[in-house]
Amino acid sequence: MMPLHGKTGRGRVCTAMQVVDLDELKRNGALWQGRRSGLAPDSLLSSGWPVLDRLLGGGWPRAALIEVLSDAHQGLSLLLPLLARLSARPRWLVWVAPPHVPYAPALAAHGVRVGQLLLVRDVSAGQGLWAAEQALKSGACSAVLAWPAQLQTAQLRRLQLAAEQGDCVAILFRSVRTAAQGSPAALRLLVRPVPPGLQVEVLKRRGGWGGDSCIVPIGPEAMDDGLHSSGASSSSHES
Amino acid sequence: MLWLALYFPQLPLEVFTRGRQQAGALVVVEPSAGREQVSRCNGAAQAYGIRPGLTLPAALALCAGLAVQRRDRAREQRALDEMASWAYQFSPRISFEPSLLLLEVGASLRLFGGLPRLLEMVQRELGQIGYSVQHALATTVTAAGLLARSRPGCQASTTDALREAVAALPLACLTRDPGARNLVRHIGLDSIADVLGLPRPELARRSGPQLPQLLDRLLGEAPDPRPEWRPPQHFSQTIELLGEIGQTMALLFPARRLMVALCGFLRGLGGGTQRLQWTLMHRDHPETRFGQGLLEPSRDPDHMLEVLRERVERLQLPAPVVAIGLRVDDWLAFEESNRDLLGGSGPDGPATSDRALLERLTNRLGGQCVRGLRCHADHRPEHAWQLCAPGELDTADAMPVQHGRAQPLWLLAQPRPLQVQQSVPQYGGPLRLEDLPERIEAGWWDGFDVTRDYFVARSRAGERLWVFRDRRGDGWYLHGVFM
Repeated sequence: MMPLHGKTGRGRVCTAMQVVDLDELKRNGALWQGRRSGLAPDSLLSSGWPVLDRLLGGGWPRAALIEVLSDAHQGLSLLLPLLARLSARPRWLVWVAPPHVPYAPALAAHGVRVGQLLLVRDVSAGQGLWAAEQALKSGACSAVLAWPAQLQTAQLRRLQLAAEQGDCVAILFRSVRTAAQGSPAALRLLVRPVPPGLQVEVLKRRGGWGGDSCIVPIGPEAMDDGLHSSGASSSSHES
Repeated sequence: MLWLALYFPQLPLEVFTRGRQQAGALVVVEPSAGREQVSRCNGAAQAYGIRPGLTLPAALALCAGLAVQRRDRAREQRALDEMASWAYQFSPRISFEPSLLLLEVGASLRLFGGLPRLLEMVQRELGQIGYSVQHALATTVTAAGLLARSRPGCQASTTDALREAVAALPLACLTRDPGARNLVRHIGLDSIADVLGLPRPELARRSGPQLPQLLDRLLGEAPDPRPEWRPPQHFSQTIELLGEIGQTMALLFPARRLMVALCGFLRGLGGGTQRLQWTLMHRDHPETRFGQGLLEPSRDPDHMLEVLRERVERLQLPAPVVAIGLRVDDWLAFEESNRDLLGGSGPDGPATSDRALLERLTNRLGGQCVRGLRCHADHRPEHAWQLCAPGELDTADAMPVQHGRAQPLWLLAQPRPLQVQQSVPQYGGPLRLEDLPERIEAGWWDGFDVTRDYFVARSRAGERLWVFRDRRGDGWYLHGVFM
């Protein structure tokens, strides 16, 4: 059973009546292929954590919506190597309604160029959503991080489309309570702090299985080797 | 010399209607022989059978809902003056006659890529500003004005062509001088050609000195000095709206008219502006003022309109608007960038869309809500970062103080006091402190001195937190969050 009427990553709809390019479906992840990841390597961005890359089938999906669910807005540290790499580009890293102040010295210590940050703060939920969509669509951002209060599935869908349109990584940090809600996101992760770091469980992954989990070491034990080395090596690799 | 005359046949009407996309039946009246007579009427009024020359009661009998405005010559002159500000981009020599604007374009034709392109641009922009126009070209200023009124589209660019073009015109077009009228009435000289055939001294004896002088000026045989017009230092124009506008988005139409006029003015000065000041006037309410900022100097009306649209969307009107004004006090020297030609591609493409996004966000949300971030060299966590203008360069002199230890990704806006039980700080249960403390002691010099021991703590739920013990007050506080 092949889902030939799935929506492709570029926003075109194929129907069973049309001649369908199988390779294109594979590339876009519209074709489910059991254990093997269907996403082409160029549509993935390495997370900088080997253990996480293995879990995600290669890395973060590019130009797609990612949801990180947690109890208390956790999971930003998973993205630091990616943000460090993206911040080397002349594009904005937009943060919409972050729960606290992003601590600039810590970001800089992880290789993130804070000059690329654009903070959208003190706005209503509707304005925040508008800003996130505009930023995603603009093509002027490499990543948009948002901490929305509540989202409907239709709004998630809009953000997903905007991310595709602007070739931009969209990461939403949401509450664990929303895990039961359906979502068009390409990737949904559940994040829980456990003593060596963060436990990451895949709830949904485009072109792959859900249900797997791993532990990304971000604790003090990992401070010296794990986090710093991976963050530094990936940022130097890019520049 | 080549003079371009722009004649605005509907000016008395358009000074009232240009603020509106559509207007109801409207006539402009002026007194004639003691009675109000229709001088101009718009298309909607014509549909009722109203024509110029009707008396006002007759016009009202044809259309009960007719809007009537008395002709306002001062306002027409103001409109001409405003158009001169716009037209200064085409020529530094500008002069006026009633309902007429005269530009010397001989010197600047090549700059604008020839006459057809110049005329096309003039007509398009005047349409956008809100005036319909008839034009004519002639080698003398008097002839250009005469031809624009009587033979629109005529181009008499040589003396012979000029003589031929004006010859057939009735003498009454040229002057209302009583001496000239006598000639027409008593000896049947109807056209300008008839008069040109007469010897000048005889003509002067019969008609008085004015007519021969006028003919000499018309043909360029005598100098025709005109007062020199100078552009104003500021742009300040107002469009009065026929009636009231209650919807903010409907204001964009007259706003764009003002922007096109502004951009012509700026091109004339070789400048661009970053700050537009808008005023909305209400009937029984103090006026609403707001500013519109641009990230870099611009004179592109479409870009300005796009930015204004964002601004206007969140505007709350206290009352319907009866007039809209635009003022620009300062402008900067401005070079037209080549991104228009390249269509936004090339190396500065992404940077352009960067600024466009920033402009959209700041205009919609306000500048306080869209900020950049930078490091600041200070040991106190509260002072180790600063909000700044987005995109401000994070240069090496603002490098963070290097801590040897872990720093949290998040900082709480205010340290949050923690409860303490049996001298152990609590956060959803007792906190387990990891490592030895880091002491931060600084700030005695600016009145915000801190003496704190910072710990990395692990909560019962597994979160890594940044807490400190205030060594003066002896309380425990949560200040940051890792992960």
